[in-house]
Amino acid sequence: MKRFISIFLLILVSLFTLEMLEPVQKHVIVPFTSLLAYLSAALILPFDETAIAYGKILQFKDTGFAVSIEAGCNGVEATIVLIAAIVAFPASWRDRILAIFLGFLAIQVMNLARIISLFYLGNWNMNYFEWIHLYLWPALIMLDVLIVFVVYLRYLSRKDGQTELAHG
Amino acid sequence: MDEHNPMRHFLIFVFILLIPCFVLWTVFNGPIAIPAIGLTHFALTHWFPDVVQALYVDGSHAVLMTEFGEKDGKMVPLLEAEYRLGFKINPGIVSYSLPFYTALHFATTRKEYMGSYMWGIFILYPLLWFGLVCICLKELMVNLGADFFNQPGVFVPNADVIGILYQFNVLIVPTLAPAIVWLWQSKDTTLLQVTLGKARIT
Repeated sequence: MKRFISIFLLILVSLFTLEMLEPVQKHVIVPFTSLLAYLSAALILPFDETAIAYGKILQFKDTGFAVSIEAGCNGVEATIVLIAAIVAFPASWRDRILAIFLGFLAIQVMNLARIISLFYLGNWNMNYFEWIHLYLWPALIMLDVLIVFVVYLRYLSRKDGQTELAHG
Repeated sequence: MDEHNPMRHFLIFVFILLIPCFVLWTVFNGPIAIPAIGLTHFALTHWFPDVVQALYVDGSHAVLMTEFGEKDGKMVPLLEAEYRLGFKINPGIVSYSLPFYTALHFATTRKEYMGSYMWGIFILYPLLWFGLVCICLKELMVNLGADFFNQPGVFVPNADVIGILYQFNVLIVPTLAPAIVWLWQSKDTTLLQVTLGKARIT
């Protein structure tokens, strides 16, 4: 447990510091965040023609209400936590990479749900928007990370069991 | 309910408990943060006696009062000012770790609940306090600028260090710390033993 926590924290702090560097923000994080805004608009548009996206901003054409997707709202920090946990836990690199890829997808699906729900919520009531945006959604995203990690550990456990059966 | 599937039991109960825990925390958010605000007041007024006058409770928020004032839109020493400069701080952005941990803890079937829960809170509370210190440092850095950094004989952390500490303690710690404490406290529970089998974190 101590070894896992130490490696986990080392990777976590390193990746987080890397993410905060200006060139990484400019060339990776901001374009990725803009992509999320466009994806959110693409998901909304078939049902609601009043939504538009430009840069990392999502806006209603009719009311003018807009949300800007900022650090902490793009799922990058949650992905960093997941990568650190998966890499810190002993497994084959094939399993690790597959888990990171699937985990990233799980986080981003949840994150798109967060962005779209907050976009509509903010247009309706700013008090609820603030509460759910600042407190509830971050907890749900971390719960998503936790569930992905526990499911990954269960997969590893079952795989080991099957390997032992095959060898037995 | 779902005694044979602890994972399903956990997932059902964590979603059931999450909203009530957050609602209760919203109601008692102010009183919960008072000890952390008091400790932060003590730390900052001793660390930066010429810059920080007080950090006090204001409803569910805190107010960080400085030794500077404002006159005609410009920051000036207090003696020349029309009023004292202060900044509103939201301790909620770090203290929501507590309802999240509460939901995780009580959603897990375990032999004993309250003792380990109190230990969990005991571990999380200093992190909450440190997060609050980082928020105040960021506010002082952004709003006072050179007057904050140029304090003779006082160690002031580098701007990048304050920036990273603030981001880390606001974006990652409030959700990650409860998850780690929960994982550590749950390693001997049926949930992790049955679900994880041989892949247990040892």
